[in-house]
Amino acid sequence: MFELSSVFSKIKSALPLILCVFFTFTLSACFFQEADGGKRVGIGYNKGYSPEQPLPFSHELHVGTHKIQCQYCHNQVERSKSSNIPALSTCMNCHQQVATDKEPIKKLREAYADGKSIEWVKVHMLPDHVQFNHQAHVQRGVSCQTCHGEVEKMAKVYQYSDLSMGWCVNCHRLPENKAPLNCTTCHH
Amino acid sequence: MSELNHNIESSQSKETIALDQNESSNQANRPSVIERQTGIWRSFEELDNTDEFQKSLATEFMSSPLRLESATEGTESDGFARRDFIKLMGASVALTTAAGCIRRPVQKMVPYAKQPEEVTLGVSNYYTSTYFDGQEGFGLLVKSREGRPVHIEGNPLNPLNGSSVSVRAQASLLSLYDPERLQKPFRNLLNEKKTNKETVGISWEDLDKKVVAELSKGSVAILTGNLSGPATQAVVSDFCSGFKAEHYSWEPLSQDDVAQGQKSSYGEAVVPMYRYDRAAVIVSIDADFLGAWGPAIQSTRMFAEGRRDPSKMSRLVSFDSTYSLTAANADVRFRIKPSQQLDIVMGLIAEIFPENKAAANFKGVAEKLGLNSENFKKVAFDLKKNTGASLVVSGGLQTRTLDSDAVQIAVNYLNSLLGNDGRTVLSRSGNPHLSANYDSINMLISKMKSGAVKTLIIYRQNPIYTLSKKMGFHEALSKVETVVFIGDQMDETASLSNFVATDNHALESWNDSEFANGIIGIHQPLIRSMYDTRSFQLSLMTWGFMAKVGPARLQNYETFLEYLRAYYKNEMAPKLAQGQDFESFWNQILQNGSVGQIASSVERNFKTEALSLIKKNQKSSDLELVLYPTSHIGDGTLANVAWLQELPNPVSKIVWDNYASISMKTADTFKLKQGDLIEVTANGVIVKLPTHIQPGLHDGVVAIAVGYGRTKAGKVGNDIGQNGYVFATLENKTVLFSGASVAIRKLGQKYDLVTTQGHDSMEGRQIVVVATNKDYEKSKSANVHRHHTWSIWSGHQYNGHKWGMAIDLNTCTGCSACMTACRSENNIHVVGKKYILQGREMDWIRIDRYYVGDVENAQAVFQPIMCQHCDNAPCETVCPVAATVHSSEGLNEMVYNRCVGTRYCSNNCPYKVRRFNWFNYAKLIEKPMHMALNPEVGVRTRGVMEKCTFCVQRIKDGKNQAKTENRPLKDGDIKVACESACPTQAITFGDLNDENSRVAKTFKSEERSYALLEEWYAKPSVRYMSKIRNNDLETAHATGGDHA
Repeated sequence: MFELSSVFSKIKSALPLILCVFFTFTLSACFFQEADGGKRVGIGYNKGYSPEQPLPFSHELHVGTHKIQCQYCHNQVERSKSSNIPALSTCMNCHQQVATDKEPIKKLREAYADGKSIEWVKVHMLPDHVQFNHQAHVQRGVSCQTCHGEVEKMAKVYQYSDLSMGWCVNCHRLPENKAPLNCTTCHH
Repeated sequence: MSELNHNIESSQSKETIALDQNESSNQANRPSVIERQTGIWRSFEELDNTDEFQKSLATEFMSSPLRLESATEGTESDGFARRDFIKLMGASVALTTAAGCIRRPVQKMVPYAKQPEEVTLGVSNYYTSTYFDGQEGFGLLVKSREGRPVHIEGNPLNPLNGSSVSVRAQASLLSLYDPERLQKPFRNLLNEKKTNKETVGISWEDLDKKVVAELSKGSVAILTGNLSGPATQAVVSDFCSGFKAEHYSWEPLSQDDVAQGQKSSYGEAVVPMYRYDRAAVIVSIDADFLGAWGPAIQSTRMFAEGRRDPSKMSRLVSFDSTYSLTAANADVRFRIKPSQQLDIVMGLIAEIFPENKAAANFKGVAEKLGLNSENFKKVAFDLKKNTGASLVVSGGLQTRTLDSDAVQIAVNYLNSLLGNDGRTVLSRSGNPHLSANYDSINMLISKMKSGAVKTLIIYRQNPIYTLSKKMGFHEALSKVETVVFIGDQMDETASLSNFVATDNHALESWNDSEFANGIIGIHQPLIRSMYDTRSFQLSLMTWGFMAKVGPARLQNYETFLEYLRAYYKNEMAPKLAQGQDFESFWNQILQNGSVGQIASSVERNFKTEALSLIKKNQKSSDLELVLYPTSHIGDGTLANVAWLQELPNPVSKIVWDNYASISMKTADTFKLKQGDLIEVTANGVIVKLPTHIQPGLHDGVVAIAVGYGRTKAGKVGNDIGQNGYVFATLENKTVLFSGASVAIRKLGQKYDLVTTQGHDSMEGRQIVVVATNKDYEKSKSANVHRHHTWSIWSGHQYNGHKWGMAIDLNTCTGCSACMTACRSENNIHVVGKKYILQGREMDWIRIDRYYVGDVENAQAVFQPIMCQHCDNAPCETVCPVAATVHSSEGLNEMVYNRCVGTRYCSNNCPYKVRRFNWFNYAKLIEKPMHMALNPEVGVRTRGVMEKCTFCVQRIKDGKNQAKTENRPLKDGDIKVACESACPTQAITFGDLNDENSRVAKTFKSEERSYALLEEWYAKPSVRYMSKIRNNDLETAHATGGDHA
């Protein structure tokens, strides 16, 4: 902290500029926001975020074409608040035999043989002060696509919903969902 | 019997207060108080009501920046520079705004390569394990998240401790993640004087080679504490037979005084199990069985069982010299000096059996000692009346005087005369592995001095710290060629050893434990060794293997787990498996946590020849020294665990220190005030300590806690208080801790003794309700004052659940297990002494200790207080940003990410349970301590208010589980952290909308129950049940009833 502070004292002269930038962005945030948390991207939400992944895994191919169920790979989603990224051992169930000649699969098999893992880039991310429970939603019969969109058509996964609080609450408020609206439902 | 001890009502009269500042008390400034509840007070300041105290009340929050202590805050000297902070904050806001547009920092997710079978991300696993603190063994249920232990609770299936475990067992979790825990084996380069020159790392191969070479030379001794596991004992004895080594077993808090007394009286050196639940009258002579003596949690559970129903509760009589937790819970208290212990036991015998010849010299003892003789006679009468259902106990450091043996024999004699042996004293049922004793260490020291020990292995004992100079261990150690220390801290003893064969933490090792005779549990590891360490047992096995000595089983197995399994297959299964095959037997122990039945005991014959040993040796002096262990620090082994240091002493409520306790009169005589530094001289040892004035202490006593004053415990535990062990002395080969004549001298300096309570006033309101058994006979709601209340609020609708809590003050002993459980469950930060001085402690649940009655001989009542989750919550209405709101289930919710830190809520909370994060404490958590954090609860940041949530994460979990299993939630499905940790089950949590829940019944029909500050009509969701004191007194004018 102290090292940082000395750095900042050096750039004291740049402070007005920083303030200008700060206000510009704050104001522009107001223009970009839409009341319904709607289609346009709000500042800070990452709707549409679609980072490059270390392996070009395609949900379109696996789910769309081959019709593999979501929970074949994300098998803990029924039991846990967090949905798991499948372990390499799950991939290897098929890729012991299937498409072993393809470059990405070779990488996968090498990693598995070495006991290493793949560092996927996180697409859906909630702030640390939010507790979301996959199990509770899946048990209630909320389909994966409701929040994650048509994953079966995504060659490369992107964030479908904006995952803002307004977006959560809009659904929780619908009387037919009988969902709790207490603050501690998500924040504790 | 109306004079028993004191009269509760009249005792508060100001004349009895001997402090001179009383004259200056100024009552004119006080607001006129309605129905002032007299006789109950928390601190001398409150009792005396001085000007100073009145002033401090006006500020309400001790942490005001206007106060002197806060003067340096935010300046460079405080370490937090305010200007820098503002600069940084401005910049970081700008940065985050920009980051929002260029997308957030990229996070990676790394799945398992091979999915472990038992791990589900985000779901806790629970494993049974054990914990043994040298005196008491616990069956544990440890919560693990993604392979790291995060919370320790008792195993509900364990017949002895149930879901509760001691403060220390819970806090041992933090020692696993202690950054200063040794991470590899070490070698100390010692100079000629055998002081440490340098510590260097060493590989296991080198260490093993060198150690085995030394061991092969012979003359080996191994020093351990009590080893409660049969398999571990087998390893040690195999090792000893292999290397022809001698095994010495000793602990600083050994119970050999009890065992020796049993041997003299009955011929067997055992530590019995005491059945406090079966006794109608319990007399304790300085045995702190609810605090730090013997199996305290087990005893507390049994004690509470005998007192759950106030109409037939047991009576606890305490003769004590330290104001221990047991003394604080006593119905009838006598304050004594250590030299009086023998007189009291023999005096009781003389009173009960006037014809008894052995006690003939002890008639009329009460008068001689200045005790209330009428009360003393009454105690004798009660004991006699409850023959076979009474219990007399004595022991611990407080009784280790020259009379120690005689007291033990006298106590055994009295129990036998009363027919208690075999009924409340179960000789065969106690823990059979408490063999540690001081004779053993004395023998070892003399052998070391004579040069008969060439290699000494020390396992997790710290004699350099816990033995006083007079015992001569330090000199003896320099005569030993090679010292091998097996432990996980570079402590006082380890740093003087040649080799440190770093041990695993208990949570990383396999082990076993016998909790009581016949009940055995397996100690499962919760995590793979975090560092390059090796378990004690495997070290011994490795050395045996390398030297090719010892039985085959010592050499054959590669891990201790294999040894353990083989031992259980060959030795234990034939006795305990009841025809099961081994695998299912093994799995059953792992699943249930324990196996077996407590061995039964029969009445024994007292050997009358032992009576000749009852001789009085201890001389009385004007001021006598008493050393005692506290329930949270114990022998001082876990001094580096901040949770324990920050936990207030259950009675004095002082944190981060020990002190010399003296009575008010003694303080007057020496013109001492709280916090005055004094020089304490006893047995030729001088120690400087701050004064603590303890109401209810004998005037001839100076009491000092051991376990403090560590010098090599680590960053947290070093130089906290002073070492009390240094006063111990050796006379006729007996180690003496108490009874020595002591001198004190005022030094004229002040010292800040920091307490977590005592700086606010009850304003005479009904906060804690105490009644006696006689009051209770007349009216079950005795002394509970009910109010007519009205409100302009329409009230909330609770259509689903409505959470509530009931707390029975009658069974609560103030042990503070709940506070530690809460700290662990809810990621509550430790703030340190400096900030507690400013009233910034973070505990979500606190235990308020109230003194009752006569100032000089005060009794105590404990009251756990957490957020009361009021229906008409005063905090909710004043929050400008709606950061604290009401839930549909009656919870008062705190939304951290909304909070802007106005602290209005805390200001408006009548119960003072809200805690403010003055700093970013979470950022100060050193790695790997962050691994102890509970991932189900957020970590609060600077500028945010926090408080008890009724463990909302557990509520959600319980509801979720019921929903998943498609069933309604049952009462007891949800256990909040404090509730499950409570050994007395004083705390119950449940749904008030469920008519059959325990809480709903208490709220509705329990006549002892009352709400805190009912007249304010905040409508709290917590009810307290009044404390009943079984002393056959009557409160002078019981103020039951209501305003009607």
